[in-house]
Amino acid sequence: MKFFLRKKLIQLILILPAVAMLSFALLQFSPIDPVQAYIGADMLQMSQEQRQQIAERWGLDQPPLMRYLHWQKEILSGNMGRSLIFQEPVTKVIARRFLPSLALMGAAWLLSGVIGFILGIIAGLKENSIYDRLIRLYAYTLASTPTFWLGMLLVIIFSVQLGWTPVCCAYPPGMNPSDVSIGQWLRHLLLPAATLSIISVAAVTLHTRQKLLEVLNSDFVLFARAKGESTWGVFRRHALRHTLLPALTIQFATFGELFGGSILAEQVFSYPGLGQATIKAGLGGDIPLLLGIVLVSALFVFFGNTVADLLYTVIDPRMRKATTS
Amino acid sequence: MLIFRTAKPLAGILFLLLLISCDQSQPQQKNETQHQHAVISPSRTTDTLVLAIGGEEEQGYDPTMGWGRYGSPLFQSTLLRYNDALEMEHDLATSYSVSEDRLTWNVDIRLDALFSDGTPLTAEDVAYTFNTAKDSGGLVDLSFMNQAKVTGEHSVSFHLSTPRSTFIHYLRTLGIVPKHAHDRDYGRHPIGSGPYKMVRWDEGQQLIVEANPLYYGKKPAIKRLAFLFLDSDTAFAAAKAGTVQVAAVPQILADKAVEGMRLVRATSVDNRGIMFPCQKAGHEELNGLPVGNDVTADPAIRQAINYAIDRQALVEGVLNGFGTPAYGSVSHLDWEEKATRIKDNNLKKAAALLHEAGWEDHDQDGLLDKEGVVAEFTLLYPADRLIRQSLALAVADMVAPLGIRLKLSGKSWDEIRKVQHSQAVLFGWGSYDPTELYHLFHSRVSGQGYFNPGLYNNPAVDAYLDQALAAATDEEATKFWRAAQWDGSTGVSALGDAPWAWLVNLDHTYLVDQGLDIGTIRVEPHGHGWPITANIVDWHWKEEQNGQGGQGKP
Repeated sequence: MKFFLRKKLIQLILILPAVAMLSFALLQFSPIDPVQAYIGADMLQMSQEQRQQIAERWGLDQPPLMRYLHWQKEILSGNMGRSLIFQEPVTKVIARRFLPSLALMGAAWLLSGVIGFILGIIAGLKENSIYDRLIRLYAYTLASTPTFWLGMLLVIIFSVQLGWTPVCCAYPPGMNPSDVSIGQWLRHLLLPAATLSIISVAAVTLHTRQKLLEVLNSDFVLFARAKGESTWGVFRRHALRHTLLPALTIQFATFGELFGGSILAEQVFSYPGLGQATIKAGLGGDIPLLLGIVLVSALFVFFGNTVADLLYTVIDPRMRKATTS
Repeated sequence: MLIFRTAKPLAGILFLLLLISCDQSQPQQKNETQHQHAVISPSRTTDTLVLAIGGEEEQGYDPTMGWGRYGSPLFQSTLLRYNDALEMEHDLATSYSVSEDRLTWNVDIRLDALFSDGTPLTAEDVAYTFNTAKDSGGLVDLSFMNQAKVTGEHSVSFHLSTPRSTFIHYLRTLGIVPKHAHDRDYGRHPIGSGPYKMVRWDEGQQLIVEANPLYYGKKPAIKRLAFLFLDSDTAFAAAKAGTVQVAAVPQILADKAVEGMRLVRATSVDNRGIMFPCQKAGHEELNGLPVGNDVTADPAIRQAINYAIDRQALVEGVLNGFGTPAYGSVSHLDWEEKATRIKDNNLKKAAALLHEAGWEDHDQDGLLDKEGVVAEFTLLYPADRLIRQSLALAVADMVAPLGIRLKLSGKSWDEIRKVQHSQAVLFGWGSYDPTELYHLFHSRVSGQGYFNPGLYNNPAVDAYLDQALAAATDEEATKFWRAAQWDGSTGVSALGDAPWAWLVNLDHTYLVDQGLDIGTIRVEPHGHGWPITANIVDWHWKEEQNGQGGQGKP
């Protein structure tokens, strides 16, 4: 266990600088001129002197290497720099935006995991039945659906036509968050979380189904059946653990996709999370903020994968032996 | 044992996610049913007017960084302001004068204005605001101002490096901030002397403001406003769902009826037009970028296109009727030269102009040519702008019968910037500040950023523009701004050198609750920020005025 964590820690220490360096290099090739992005529609009011002044304030008059080294020095001293577009320390922007995103992703993650697993089991146990076919159709269709499109569709149906759910935002407009009830809060989370989870259900369902079929067709299940086990008994005593493993792996491995999906979902629902900030940072050429978000999301995805690795050892005794020995 | 040790933190992690989603406002649970209705339409149960008119100021609501340059700064007040007819009025200023050499502006201010924290607004604050805006490297370009100085308890003087009549627009737009409470984070909790004060700002979602009880001017009737930051499609959905009472909607959605709301259209100077490179192509370069275009360098081509375009058809066909024809960059403003409104859709006149200049179809391929140059050129537009794309397509069709071919190409701004001196571009401008005219046409600023990208050069026009900037009064300046467009023999309009073909002015379209009176609709500048809020102190609920109380919709 100790060995495992130490190994992971070393991996993390290697990954983060690599991610940072690569992202910074990519941003240098971006055609976006941050000063122009900032000036935007005011471009006929801004003199060259003023443009120069803005570039100096942002340190953009320095060569890229200098800027990178400076940024790295700051990062090592725990300072992530100041966001250009938000005029605030990057840590502050991320801290404020991370919680709503985490709630959204967490809700979507739980929903998609539970629903996906159950659907996968149903489909697997009733192979080739009408249930199986419907579930597979659903999974294949949704696996190829863009998040933002589904989001807009849900808004049109449930918010505009039916009026059941709110159109936007994390809580009712015009209210202070301290006055918002948990019911209202969940109501506003419902549609974005549903959008995110409906799409990520597919992977878990299909993998679970596949694994379940594999197990059901194995020799030890045949043996169990020969001893008179019912289908439910077979499933509960023999298949459950086997199918749980790929489901959980998929669930934790999708942290990256979850993050990507939340960017789009947040945009559609005007949900004030990290995803929205990412888009603004990207379009505005806000390098400090974008790099900050990249680091945080790298940590997030890394965390997901590590948990998946750990879970193996919990569920599968054979792997536990391998890691402890 | 091992299962125990690892499973515990894992379960913790899993439940952490759950807990986060349950953590907010537990004690409020009992209010849930009571507030259910509010989710759909807050205005029916609370006093908050909810608006979705875009325009979040990510960097914060600090005028010295650029907040408030469209519409009103809301939290702060300005020295001067526009009335509904776009005439200059005093706000914080009680009088102002310009020195003989036009380098010094003296402004007297009222002394009864208080900031929302109760401290009086003084000349010190005014000078501080202007000097800070100059040095902050934000979106206020005061590089032509040397310094603002306090000259008395209630008077300030501004010292300019060059005469500049348009400085008056800085007096109109720059909100005054309190020196004692202004720092780097001011934009997140602004304190000002304006009609409203900030209650809270949930970034990416909403801004809530309340009437400022200490405001010296007319007290707003609407006590509490919530601005939602939605994109225009979501704003429309929100209007349909009854969540907002004022929504800025795109023109293509504007004629879709929404129950309980009326359509408000504001005429604007928000224009679209084609910029032509005016230099002949050579091997010249400017800032390393190619310069010149042999086809558009011929004034006859530019004029012919101007005459051939049917602007009313563009308004009807592309803008769905939500717009007006544009013959210059300053339509509907005081300094527009009305004589430049040519009779367009005139293919005969266009053909005659081309014939006169020697453009003929010598090789019978359907395209005009002259001295081996074929009458075709590329027209660029920003690829993500639907209206500009449609305009470009329509214009290409309109000039095709003349024997002129436009090759259309959608690109990003960053790509357009690299070819804008050699290829035609569909731009959009429109400002209350006539400095824009100067930057569009003066040869001295050619090629600086987006200033005069076609490198248009006419000494007579340059002289008018210089005189306009150096003018002593607004009236005098207006005369020169008009002359630059057309003085009877030359100018930047289609009658003169026609360096641009202006096409249309967009109407800004809003859906407004039928119960809400938003006063006189002003001519609005290019669509950013909140121009519609300029007269927000005049807004009121109709029922309230009739003394019926409540503001419920039928």
